[in-house]
Amino acid sequence: MGQVRFAACGAAGLLALALAGSSASEFQNRTARENDLKAVFLFNFTQFVQWPADAFADVSDPFVIGILGDDPFGSTLKEVVAKETVGKHKIVVRHYQDVRDIANCQMLFISPSESLRLNHIFEHLRGRSILSVGETESFLAHGGMIRFLLVGNKLHLQINLETAKAAHLTISSQLLRQAEVLGPAPRKQ
Amino acid sequence: MNSNAAIRTEGEARKSVRFGSRRDPRTSLILIVLLTLAVPTYAETNENYQASELKKLSLEQLFEMQVTTVSKKPEKLSETASAIQVITAEDIERSGASSLPEALRLAPNLQVAQVNSHDWAITARGFNAAPLSNNSLADKLLVMIDGRSVYTPLFGGVFWDVQNVLLEDIDHIEVISGPGATLWGDNAINGVINVVTKSARDTQGLYVAGAGGSFLQDFGGLRYGGSVNSNFFFRLYGQRFDREHTDLPNGDSAEDAWDMTQGGFRADYYPSDDNTMTLQGDFYGGDEGTPTVTLVDGQNVLGRWTHVFSYESDLSVQAYYDRTWRNLPGASFSDNLKTYDIDLQHRFPLGERQSIVWGAGYRLMRDEVNNTAALSFAPENRNLQLFNIFLQDEITVIDERLKLTLGSKLEHNDYSGFEVQPSARLAWTPTTRQTVWAAVSRAVRSPARFDADEVTPFITTPQHEFDSEKVIAYELGYRARPFDKLTFSLAGYFNHYYDLRSVDLNAAPPPALVFANDQKANTWGVEVSGNFQATSWWRWRGGYDYLHEDISATSAAVVPGSDTFEAIDPRHQFLIQSMMDLPAHFQFDLVGRYAEALQATALTPRVPSYFTFDARLAWQFKNWELAVVGQNLYDNQHPEFGALQIPRSVYGKVTCRF
Repeated sequence: MGQVRFAACGAAGLLALALAGSSASEFQNRTARENDLKAVFLFNFTQFVQWPADAFADVSDPFVIGILGDDPFGSTLKEVVAKETVGKHKIVVRHYQDVRDIANCQMLFISPSESLRLNHIFEHLRGRSILSVGETESFLAHGGMIRFLLVGNKLHLQINLETAKAAHLTISSQLLRQAEVLGPAPRKQ
Repeated sequence: MNSNAAIRTEGEARKSVRFGSRRDPRTSLILIVLLTLAVPTYAETNENYQASELKKLSLEQLFEMQVTTVSKKPEKLSETASAIQVITAEDIERSGASSLPEALRLAPNLQVAQVNSHDWAITARGFNAAPLSNNSLADKLLVMIDGRSVYTPLFGGVFWDVQNVLLEDIDHIEVISGPGATLWGDNAINGVINVVTKSARDTQGLYVAGAGGSFLQDFGGLRYGGSVNSNFFFRLYGQRFDREHTDLPNGDSAEDAWDMTQGGFRADYYPSDDNTMTLQGDFYGGDEGTPTVTLVDGQNVLGRWTHVFSYESDLSVQAYYDRTWRNLPGASFSDNLKTYDIDLQHRFPLGERQSIVWGAGYRLMRDEVNNTAALSFAPENRNLQLFNIFLQDEITVIDERLKLTLGSKLEHNDYSGFEVQPSARLAWTPTTRQTVWAAVSRAVRSPARFDADEVTPFITTPQHEFDSEKVIAYELGYRARPFDKLTFSLAGYFNHYYDLRSVDLNAAPPPALVFANDQKANTWGVEVSGNFQATSWWRWRGGYDYLHEDISATSAAVVPGSDTFEAIDPRHQFLIQSMMDLPAHFQFDLVGRYAEALQATALTPRVPSYFTFDARLAWQFKNWELAVVGQNLYDNQHPEFGALQIPRSVYGKVTCRF
């Protein structure tokens, strides 16, 4: 008996389907997923930051966006930078588990999973023209350059201009205008 | 009544598992992961810009973009080794549910039956027990609203009539079937329900709704959310409803119509990126036909502070006060319960492969009853204390493949003393799209006043000191996402209960019925559930439960029929929900459900099996939404638990959101 009734319900559902037509309802108040937005920002950094010529060992080297630690972006970042270039350098995404493995790399997203190893990481990055991007509170204080920060439900940027300059990176004023620019970070000895 | 910060906005997880709320994106991922599992396409189908579209926007536009759900590591969605189901805000809205228990019908792993106009029998994996003043005596669930435990020590169950939430404010409801005692706490012997409301940040603006109909006679809801600055958000709400009576089998009114008025607030303050503070509270009052008039009222306030040290480490402290009072003037019985609770939880990594969560809690419950000839307790007033401390270690055995979680809770209650509730869980994720998990746990239901302090109608004597009920639960589960639009899960369990409550005939004169621990039970069952995004505009979800229960006496003193005092459950039940977006801003939604017959007991008649369905047609225009909802449409009326007839009903609703 129960099955019979259930079948009746199923039939009602199919009828409703037939009436439904095929157009999806319109989008309203569109928003973005946080990590998608961050991935797009990472791509934009490649366009709004200038790297010194010696950031690449060879003109044929790709522009490497590295992800150190857990990758929060899934396939999004790869899709965003696919077929994109910085000058003549093709953009590629590489994953690292250990900062010592990083060779050719121009931008490094340091995952929050690495937050307890920041001292060690920045020791290895010091003096190299790698734009470091992170999220954790102490990221800039440890020597990071750009920090993503969620305020309300909008994404903000904090930029440590001194450390970027020290790495011979030039951040465009267009980006700086939108970001919160912090003074020299208190470096731990 | 409202909590949980920006779960959808950012990753939260293990913490929210216990406290409901956190805000930092870098904290635990499980919850998001679970949401992703339960609603694989919800966040992806309608509102969000695709990354490829975002890329075309200017820097200025990117900085103005409103951020929603973080789906961090969606591939990790299936790593949790328990039978968890998540009901989303959308599932609730589209079902036409008008109360929290109606929303809980959407959890395929719960058994939900409406007893009368205001009382419900709700359990997981069986043991919906005999009625106490219509409310089911079901006593094996831990139920929390934003981290505030709402089961009563009076009988270990929940008075569902006073658990009201503005449904619009619910972010999601997590329902775990199976023991969750190690991490979640006391009474989580058969399952855990965690109602999580949106943060004040996510409920900005004005919401006004009004409804009227045949069973839900009238409903009015109002909420306003505002902000003091970009770090401080608040909301205020109020709601009121009147509900009609159900009918006796002979067609007369059961005179159980009722009304409830409730209000409350929530404030969320983010003093810095890694601190979140929440303060929230509710108050309510109502009267219910039983058929003499029962009055209820209550107030609660909860504060929570969370500090995030790093991606892998955080600390949360929560405290709340809750008062709930009810009387039955006809019987002059009353119960006034005041609960004071404080909890702490800390998570940190240990080495490369281990993540430790530990915590401690203290609860003081001051319960004052007013005895009557029909129901009395000794002592009348009692202070009950509950201490607990727990430790759990999640060990990554093989990176991204195999995780072992070991933990235990040590708890002390005033009746049965120290209780140990350990569990071991293993999750194997052979591919990113599937997980096999297994668990063994021991959990305890500590005695309630009903078991241990009662003098009438059941007597309690020093010779019959009531001990805790115990279960050893074995679980095996499989979760998969064979393709992007489909997720499903299977869970099987075998539970062995011992020292289960029994009704015994007192050996010593005078003859009397006493509660003892002279029953044991074996139960096993299967839970199947799935979620299918058939097209961009049509989503299905549903599930099937099979439950086998076998209860037996361990003493000759046990009264025949004692088993049916403990468990009145359907063997099969089925749920299906369909949600369709139609052209021209219309939505058409259906929920069908089937429950097999309940056998007759000494206190309740046989309940025939039933199928029924709810339907909702809604039209949205700008900030306005008009909806017509029909509930229990298949039959004129049907009983679900006991004799009272739940009627077919219709209501119309106008909602406005600014």
